[in-house]
Amino acid sequence: MPDSLYIHIPFCIRKCIYCDFFSVPYDKSAAQAYIEALCWELILKKDSAQALKTVYIGGGTPSLLPDECLTQLFICLKDNFSFSSDIEITIEANPGTINESKINTLFSLGVNRLSIGIQSFNDNELKVLGRIHSSEDALISIEMIKNAGLNNFSVDLMYGIPGQTMESWKDSLLKASGGSPRHISTYELTVEENTPLSRFIESGEVIIPDEDLILEMYNYAIDYLGGCGYKQYEISNFAMPGFECMHNLNYWDRGEYIGAGAGAHSFINEIRSINTKDIKSYIEILTEGKSVEMEPIRLFPPEALKEFIFLGLRKIKGININTPICIPPLIRGDIRGCNSILDASKELTTEGYLEFDRGYLRLTRKGLVISNTVIVKLFEKLGL
Amino acid sequence: MAKNIRNFSIVAHIDHGKSTLADRLLEYTGALSAREMTEQVLDSMDLERERGITIKAHAVRLLYTSIDGKEYILNLIDTPGHVDFSYEVSRSLASCEGALLVVDASQGVQAQTLANAHLALEHNLEIIPLINKIDLPGADPEKTKKQIEDTIGIDCSEAILASAKEGIGTREVLEAVVKKIPPPEGVDDKPLKALIFDSWFDNYQGVIVLLRVFEGKIIAGKKIKLMATGSVYEVFQVGIFSPKMEQVPELSSGEVGYIIAGIKSVTDTKIGDTITDADNPVQSPCPGYRDIKPMVFCGLYPVASYQYENLRNALNKLRLNDASFTYEPETSLALGFGFRCGFLGLLHMEIVKERLEREFDLSLLSTAPTVVYRVKKTDGKIFSIDNPALLPEKCDAIEEPFVLLMIFVPGEYLGSILDLCQEKRGVQKNFTFIGKDKVKVEYEMPLNEILWDFYNRLKSLSKGYASMDYDFIGYRSSNLVKLNVLINGEVVDALSLIVHTDQAYVKGRELAEKLREIIPRQMYEVVIQAAVGNKIIARESVKALRKDVLAKCYGGDITRKRKLLEKQREGKKRMKQVGRVELPQEAFLAVLKVK
Repeated sequence: MPDSLYIHIPFCIRKCIYCDFFSVPYDKSAAQAYIEALCWELILKKDSAQALKTVYIGGGTPSLLPDECLTQLFICLKDNFSFSSDIEITIEANPGTINESKINTLFSLGVNRLSIGIQSFNDNELKVLGRIHSSEDALISIEMIKNAGLNNFSVDLMYGIPGQTMESWKDSLLKASGGSPRHISTYELTVEENTPLSRFIESGEVIIPDEDLILEMYNYAIDYLGGCGYKQYEISNFAMPGFECMHNLNYWDRGEYIGAGAGAHSFINEIRSINTKDIKSYIEILTEGKSVEMEPIRLFPPEALKEFIFLGLRKIKGININTPICIPPLIRGDIRGCNSILDASKELTTEGYLEFDRGYLRLTRKGLVISNTVIVKLFEKLGL
Repeated sequence: MAKNIRNFSIVAHIDHGKSTLADRLLEYTGALSAREMTEQVLDSMDLERERGITIKAHAVRLLYTSIDGKEYILNLIDTPGHVDFSYEVSRSLASCEGALLVVDASQGVQAQTLANAHLALEHNLEIIPLINKIDLPGADPEKTKKQIEDTIGIDCSEAILASAKEGIGTREVLEAVVKKIPPPEGVDDKPLKALIFDSWFDNYQGVIVLLRVFEGKIIAGKKIKLMATGSVYEVFQVGIFSPKMEQVPELSSGEVGYIIAGIKSVTDTKIGDTITDADNPVQSPCPGYRDIKPMVFCGLYPVASYQYENLRNALNKLRLNDASFTYEPETSLALGFGFRCGFLGLLHMEIVKERLEREFDLSLLSTAPTVVYRVKKTDGKIFSIDNPALLPEKCDAIEEPFVLLMIFVPGEYLGSILDLCQEKRGVQKNFTFIGKDKVKVEYEMPLNEILWDFYNRLKSLSKGYASMDYDFIGYRSSNLVKLNVLINGEVVDALSLIVHTDQAYVKGRELAEKLREIIPRQMYEVVIQAAVGNKIIARESVKALRKDVLAKCYGGDITRKRKLLEKQREGKKRMKQVGRVELPQEAFLAVLKVK
């Protein structure tokens, strides 16, 4: 039974130009109706979880929710689920949507980890991305969080932004680490189809940094953050020892989780499913007391093995292929077991893209930057 | 008896409305009710309908009561509409006494209009001109008539004005067929003499032969002899297509129909061959028989080597129905086991490839098309090669096939078309104005040049208005060399080409550049070189892949990431591993993209 819960809040003040994630403009009455339905969904799912170890409230911009909505959500959570004593409760927050009182509310409700979507400390870059905050707002937010006594927070940064230079990237990293968050995520700006960003690039309105610069930025981040005491534990994630995001680690460990909210994903009993994305039908279906889960996909050993590999290799620690215990039961019975992963990885290991050490197979720095290619090659070798 | 029979074909340039007219004739004579009509009944193969062309010939018997009150049997023999199949067209025409020449009223005379009309004239057919699509806004029937008179020299004063699409002029067509086309000659009490103009393989009945009886008659039980092969069979069914298959007691002189005689393969029923009495054969066969040989060759390889046997079976099955293509096993260092296949022309090649992939669910890799070269070795021996990789480093002379190419083009595009012909090593032989605004040019040109993106460029340079046709005129000596392509230092035999010495440098450079664009980045640098002999004439490189997108793995949406990787994996499956390098299928056709 899952001990991990994801809650999706699909509201934003406005959409960023690169975003193809599901969100709609914020509206208070819509938010209230949505939280009402969300609570219904949580009640429906209350018996399908064991004591929760992680709760992650993502979006959208969950920090937009008014206090009464947040309170209602947490009361519902506590009424219907039991919390493990070391539970990690994260909420995503954007600068410009939080103030001292909001932080105190979250704190008092039990949130013990904040993930702040700062993205950049350069105002031009923030403007290009269509973010609503300034670098000043970002610094103020960090101060407020620390003043409220919450030290376990994470800062999201982005590289590969149109107009970004090595200098501005270094500056963003410096300012982020200067705020002493326990955790930093660095994401490459991804150009998704059918976003304003993809159209701007096509029309030549914006130009993204070239590949070599992006690589330099990535490598610099690893070295710089490492020097500041942030250990890289996943392709895009860095943390002070003991402050890795437990919720995300569960995804990469192929652990089970419940998703609640419009467009949220679940993974239970080797079945992956997604909730309906349309807020209106999400509310309607739940009002009728029915399930909003759609398109369940049952995973069979080949798919499960693929997931185990590509999720596991995102972790810097790699995948443990010596102790079969870490391989999900469904895969364990499959003929393509641990040894064959090791066999299949030989060439890639010789060429320096993978390394095998004390039972763990992992991507090297050289392999990390072309992880998709390495993983697909490994699939090929495995006949997957 | 023979007096009320009329045997005729419809000939036209592509898209001038031949098949639509055939449909109208079937509908009008009640051969099929409107309800039964699937559009363009005679083009029964899906591919034919999709491409809007007729690949195989068919014959349909229509019953028509003329305004003179008599009932006539009209045998409509459909013909393929492409230069690749001109021999088949000629055999169909040889089975007729007349032809309807269909010309689009707005497009006027085109290259195949002329080529087909000449073919019909060669067979002494009565030609009935028909101006089609007169309902379209751009139609100019008078101008079209004049063009026909000027270029073909036939009287157009009684040309039929029609719109096959709208059913205008259908009755006039049928009346003209009855009045103008002579009835067949020939007598029933002579030894059998019949011409094979088509045949195909049916899974249940074996080979079905379409024929035209010139002398004598053919009935079930008769022992027949196929004169070209000398093989003897017993006929066990005789019939006609109405267009449904219908048995008849006999086919006598002047008639058109089918026979089934326990023949197992279409390679035994050669188109143009003569069928006669086994016991009392005629002295001389029908004239014009040729053993047609493939003109264009390419290597076909399964992308996944385990599909080799499937490919062999598919080729086998396809050949049951198409004796004009050939295949021989061949081995390529780069591509492994495959087949060298021969075709009548480019369209024929594309059709066969497409049928193999579609009907037999194969994923195929094809090398660039090539002609057959004649090579004189230093020891004086002469041999033919249909694969550029087989050209020896040293030889005395190389000969290549030449064609006489005829192009019809509106005057405004003439300049660029002449440049194209020049670039393609053409030598101008003729230049004639057709009316005020159209020109007919004739060039002698190596066939090989036509295979490499000639038609597409002709069409794009003329905004689609130019048309072409060609005839093989023989082998000629040319100054040719082998151009090799090396990938990471290794010659990839499947990429070798034979090019004219003067073009070797340009082609080598362009080919290397094209390959650089086509080959995706890989984990290692890929070096592409073009070489003549030991001399490297071009070098390009595809830089090693340095990074993938280091994107966020979106919260919980694992399926999206899995599908992304699976897509990447599928893309790899479609590539051919040559050494350590993965080459996409289009790399092997890169030469076609080179100027």
